Amino acid sequence: MPGKEPGVNCRMKKVEIEFTINGKKRSLSVKPNDLLINIIRNDLFLTGSKYGCGIGECGACTVLLNGEPVLSCLTLAATVDGKEITTIEGLAKGNELHPMQIAFLKNAAVQCGFCTPGMILTATALLKENSNPTEDEIRDYMRGNICRCTGYIQIVKAIEECASGRKTS
Amino acid sequence: MNQFRYVCPKTIEEALEILKEERANACIAAGCSNLLPKIRDKNLSPKLLIDITNIGELKGISQKKGKICLGPLTTIAELVNSELLFKEYPILHQAAEQFADPVVRNNATIGGNLVTASPAADMAVPLLTLGALIKIEGVRQKREVKLKEFFLGPGKTILQDDEMIVGIEFEQSDINKNGYFVKLGQRKAMAIAIASLALNLKVKQNKIIQIRIAMGSVAPMPIRLTGVEEFLKNKEIKNGLIEEAINKISEEVNPISDIRASEEYRRYISGILFKRALKKIIPY
Repeated sequence: MPGKEPGVNCRMKKVEIEFTINGKKRSLSVKPNDLLINIIRNDLFLTGSKYGCGIGECGACTVLLNGEPVLSCLTLAATVDGKEITTIEGLAKGNELHPMQIAFLKNAAVQCGFCTPGMILTATALLKENSNPTEDEIRDYMRGNICRCTGYIQIVKAIEECASGRKTS
Repeated sequence: MNQFRYVCPKTIEEALEILKEERANACIAAGCSNLLPKIRDKNLSPKLLIDITNIGELKGISQKKGKICLGPLTTIAELVNSELLFKEYPILHQAAEQFADPVVRNNATIGGNLVTASPAADMAVPLLTLGALIKIEGVRQKREVKLKEFFLGPGKTILQDDEMIVGIEFEQSDINKNGYFVKLGQRKAMAIAIASLALNLKVKQNKIIQIRIAMGSVAPMPIRLTGVEEFLKNKEIKNGLIEEAINKISEEVNPISDIRASEEYRRYISGILFKRALKKIIPY
């Protein structure tokens, strides 16, 4: 099998998919080998999600699929039919930023910004599962999201602050 | 990335019919966390992807007739979050918790972890000590195979190209409830094991009644250490015996040197991991 060029019998038939992204219904015709990250960035022009390693090591492409964080570089677009996607663009309500976005800004948890969309989405998923995580729990949950500026301390602080803000409000 | 066609069957029968027609041209896709990087690196060039994630019968954790049944589509996240596993079969919970990271765990499935047949497969190691049975179906036949007979080598299993895993089962026995999993990686996140060890044990008045030991990353496939198991059975736990067992473990494993560790180190650490696991189960 390896090395064989695709023959006539594998001409790709496009797949029709319908899904909701950031609250909007979309219908698209995608190729079987289209990655979700490429559809999000190139077809829907939502360039907040980043293409990093492409092999599931960095977390930059994290999006929420039916509320759960998943890697959009390891998800085929064809498989999201009927599902609900949230990207970083879908967190703010109009001009009002999501509390996690505010916490990241306030704590200077953003340096180059490449990992930030994935970090923020994974962090919101963490607080949904565990509204009052310890520092260890935060670090454990966020362990697949890599920040190459290594600004982890601020990121952990931002998540802690967002969690405590939620508790009091 | 290579081109392929895509189908999304709704039942096992439908999936098996497609597999029968397409055979080696087809590849089953579930969580895709191993599959897509392989396709991109051209280690795999399927002409057809069979997305089985909509087949409900392959999902979830259930109990029946003294057995725990895991659907092959059960995600690693579901294993982590299962109260049943956490309370009664902690070894699976422990292994799932050390698997990759929480995001990957939402996609990665237990069936995928087994068919990938990595020598380091995190879930295979505790399933070996749980004495897991793999239920396999093809259009021609159904069969059940012990997990320890499922792996043939790195990336190789006994699955024929028209067969798929439809279930994973293990017994609700005392020994299965008493286990511990240790994994040694270069770091916590996303680490492929340098070595991993699962231990399930039944002890009565400090005597080993039943013991199962399995390891990952120390042989061409995840293995049971049956020689050491035999040696330890019916013996009383004491320091001298454990030291002897550690030496035997270093001899029984069959590791290679690679980017993560040398053969010598793996032989050495195998015994240490056993000692750590044993101390967690019974402080001696």
